[in-house]
Amino acid sequence: MAHAETAHAPPVEVEEATTTGINHRKLLMWVFLGSDCLFFGSLIATYMVYRGQSIVGPYPADIVDVPITTISTFVLLMSSFSMVMAVAAARSGNQKRLIQWLLVTIVMGCGFIGFQVYEFNAFRVEGLRYETNLFSSSFYTLTGFHGAHVTLGIFWLICITIIAARNPAGRPSGLDVDIAGLYWHFVDIVWIVIFTLLYLIGGFDAGPDAGHAAVQGWNWVTGLVS
Amino acid sequence: MSSNPGQEGAVAHHEHESREHASHEDAGIGRFFFGHVPEGVHGGLKQYGLLAIFLAIITFVEFVIILPEDLRGSSIVIAPLVILSVIKFFCVVAFFMHLKFEHGLLWQIFVAGLVLGLIVAIALVLLFGVFRPTPRAFSEGRQQPFVHHVEEAPHYEPLVVPTPAPLGAIAPAPAAGAAAGASPGQQIFMGAGGCSACHAIEGLAVGALGPDLTHIATVAESRVPGQSAEDYIRESIVEPDAYTVTAADEGIDQDFQQGLMVATTSSLGLTDEDVDELVEYLMTLR
Repeated sequence: MAHAETAHAPPVEVEEATTTGINHRKLLMWVFLGSDCLFFGSLIATYMVYRGQSIVGPYPADIVDVPITTISTFVLLMSSFSMVMAVAAARSGNQKRLIQWLLVTIVMGCGFIGFQVYEFNAFRVEGLRYETNLFSSSFYTLTGFHGAHVTLGIFWLICITIIAARNPAGRPSGLDVDIAGLYWHFVDIVWIVIFTLLYLIGGFDAGPDAGHAAVQGWNWVTGLVS
Repeated sequence: MSSNPGQEGAVAHHEHESREHASHEDAGIGRFFFGHVPEGVHGGLKQYGLLAIFLAIITFVEFVIILPEDLRGSSIVIAPLVILSVIKFFCVVAFFMHLKFEHGLLWQIFVAGLVLGLIVAIALVLLFGVFRPTPRAFSEGRQQPFVHHVEEAPHYEPLVVPTPAPLGAIAPAPAAGAAAGASPGQQIFMGAGGCSACHAIEGLAVGALGPDLTHIATVAESRVPGQSAEDYIRESIVEPDAYTVTAADEGIDQDFQQGLMVATTSSLGLTDEDVDELVEYLMTLR
């Protein structure tokens, strides 16, 4: 990789000749994100399968705090915005702006994780442990893995921020920030799905039979078909 | 710089003049979904801001939708929530992840993963949630009671699933230990017969899949009316399903599995003499 000679010019990406015309690293990241869809798809499906199947409480309606989670969802969504601003700053070679927006993104990511730590702890105090019921097991597994993704993203952004602060010859390049941004946005869209299914729809399931209405609806449909 | 050859030219209006990179041409399928937007990657700082506001508004609307308590969980609420989240999802993908402006291959790769994930999810839900809604049956009796606002060490009994050892494998060790003063019947019980894998005899065997045989000679006298203890024991060995011991017989929680003994002993090839020895031995357990 060659870099810009002048300090203020945007870092020049040297595009390697590839058969697809797509940068290898970018292609790799998209392939990873595509496969990560499968990973989260399975975990989300597991949660949906076990929805309304717990025979002891606490049930979602007993403990899930939708307003607080709406705020943390908002924070994560806005961190996506600050991330695109960071990418734009990196593309235009503005290191100072880049660092500022990266820090904003990191702070909001930490805020989201803080909400999750608070939530998990509140659940634990209420008596919802990992092994308590099917809801808790599938819930903690899904949101825990998402939280791990966010945490990894935060470390990644911190690394990029440090590199940008030291500013070794145009690093990080626009592409470096761009790829980290792709990962960050992906974590955001996964949360969009989780927030809708686990909180807005599943968060009000009360008692052992909640969520069964959906199953009965399906049964009604399949009954019509057969 | 690679440029996208014109296979898609029939559909696309080539507006290359506003593009900074030829590789940032519209994605093929993406364009189908999102229409054609002439801005390049760098043109959208204001667009980003507007989109962020738009996403925030959607999130707020979602929150408002779930406020009426009596509507929660009904399809009237679920449908708009799903639609709104799908809109948010694809807005972030198309603009924040600028997939809209990327090479069509990236779009295809991502959608491939997304669709596969969706199919997996739908298949799982159909399989275990609709056609065989059985997870609850499995969880029945295996969960701990819920105590509100109490923080204490978890108290639960670990789930013990007795696993029958391979019949041949269990033979040597116990047989060697019991060999000294063991009757031929006891040796078959502990060894070639494999009985001890499933049946318990106090001080000798600990199997739990079948009835406890510690006092079988006494129990057998009265189990089937009109049948002698010896006949009952013999029948139980050569034709296990003739009478299956129930949970009530044994004073335990769960019935024994019908057909299990037939399945595990039919291939052993015990001779009539072996059975005689076994019956003789079991008749000593009073």
